[in-house]
Amino acid sequence: MARFILAAFSMLVLVYLLVPLVIIVGASLTTSEFLTFPPQGLTLKWYERVLADRSYMAAFSISTWLALSATVIALLLAVPATLAIARFSFRGKGAVEAVLMSPLMMPYLVLGAALLQYGSAIGLVRSFPALMVGHVVIIVPFIVRSVLPQFSADQKALEEASRDLGAGPFATFFLVTLPQIRGGAISGAILAFITSWINVELSIFNVTPALTTIPVKLFNYIQYTVDPTIAAVSAITILVAAILLIIIDAVFGLDVIQTKK
Amino acid sequence: MAATRLSLFLLLFAPLAFFAAFFLAPMGVVLISSLTSAQETVTFANYARILFDQYHWDVLWRTARISLLTTVICMIVGYPLAYFLVHGVSSRTLRRTFIVLLVLPLFTSNIVRSFGWMVLLGRRGLVNESLTGLGLIDSPFRFLGTEAGVIIGLVYINMPFIVIAVGNALAKIDRSYTDASSDLGASRFTSFWTITFPLSLPGLTAGALLVFALSVGAYVTPAVLGGGQVTMFSMLIFQQYTSVFDFNYGGALSITLLLLTLAMVSLSGIVGKPRGGR
Repeated sequence: MARFILAAFSMLVLVYLLVPLVIIVGASLTTSEFLTFPPQGLTLKWYERVLADRSYMAAFSISTWLALSATVIALLLAVPATLAIARFSFRGKGAVEAVLMSPLMMPYLVLGAALLQYGSAIGLVRSFPALMVGHVVIIVPFIVRSVLPQFSADQKALEEASRDLGAGPFATFFLVTLPQIRGGAISGAILAFITSWINVELSIFNVTPALTTIPVKLFNYIQYTVDPTIAAVSAITILVAAILLIIIDAVFGLDVIQTKK
Repeated sequence: MAATRLSLFLLLFAPLAFFAAFFLAPMGVVLISSLTSAQETVTFANYARILFDQYHWDVLWRTARISLLTTVICMIVGYPLAYFLVHGVSSRTLRRTFIVLLVLPLFTSNIVRSFGWMVLLGRRGLVNESLTGLGLIDSPFRFLGTEAGVIIGLVYINMPFIVIAVGNALAKIDRSYTDASSDLGASRFTSFWTITFPLSLPGLTAGALLVFALSVGAYVTPAVLGGGQVTMFSMLIFQQYTSVFDFNYGGALSITLLLLTLAMVSLSGIVGKPRGGR
């Protein structure tokens, strides 16, 4: 009996977690001119409207380029740093790791405000690079956290063997080390990408009407008006999230709750 | 060894330079400006203004109240789900499906999820229509623009973090403890209450403090579901930076919020644990 109640309750909670997402997708299909759920009739015209709207397409493309470039830069910074933390012992190692992980504990709004204030002093505001440096900072921890556990002691032996056999440090890195941490780097990169792609609090300080990301555009819009177009834009972001999540689960096995085998 | 030092330098130079330039320096600027007066002298006046103004205490109290309620509800709702995911699902495929469903909301923007609740909680939204349809209430309940609406949204947005934290704690508990206790004649409930629950407490506390910290710093959800009528602490910061342009005072508010968050996070001892994807 207790088991049944627990299962029923858990199912309800899982349904509850999906309801707002289902509502948005449903409302985006309505034929009516106003937002309604359940939808009145089914149509894809709001999606057509979004695809035909230059400003939405610009925001989608800015968000995507921002998340992609921030992820690539974050990888280039984080992978060497984790290599240093995992393979070398040096003074201040704990401090280096703490600094690289600490953006995880910052309210993003505080960091966004700080970057605006600092950026105004050094002339880096309301531009793509101004947005990007902030995004790199907040996503580096995701990559560090996924990559760091991938370095193990047996790999160190393999690296030493490779060096003993005459491979240089770069050959060893690309042929021996990198393949072993690849899984962690890729799942970390996907998490980093999505974190950047959905961010509002950090980006909001450095956008302009012409340079805006999709979540910030939605945020600014929703405070004044809601219509089925907004629902269609939101539904597209939900779809992208679902696709990325299913890829992670299929390729790496999503292990947010680690049970013993 | 010189070679080691050179390798270390090459590996760490770029990441540390980047973090110094775009993370530590900006935070340093905020800290310094929070201690600066309009006349460019060192002052604690910005902090005194926060401390001695009734309005700020009201906002702070509201923020604490909303965050606390959010955390408690997340714990009550999230714990059973975590337990179910760890002990109640025997099929691996099913468990994976459930976990994907649990994490999917975390992959969508706060703004999209808050928007979903905005549609649900409106005067003629599904929630009000159902409640009046069932005859539970006579006239539509006002959710948007109230603390209740903000709490509903924050619970929704933060609950997966509690489930993940508790789930990980539950999964680590050695099954032989509960097996032994039931061999010795304890009922399921006694085993749970005297063994499993106490052992899962660190996970529950860690998750709770994380949710509390995330709620205290939340901006998007209270802005959308509160409709500008439920002022939380983060909104004060946003106002100072985008419409009042008092960076010194905004800085003091930022540092205050940061200290509150860090206090919560360090209490939970979860440095490096989930925020976002997993």
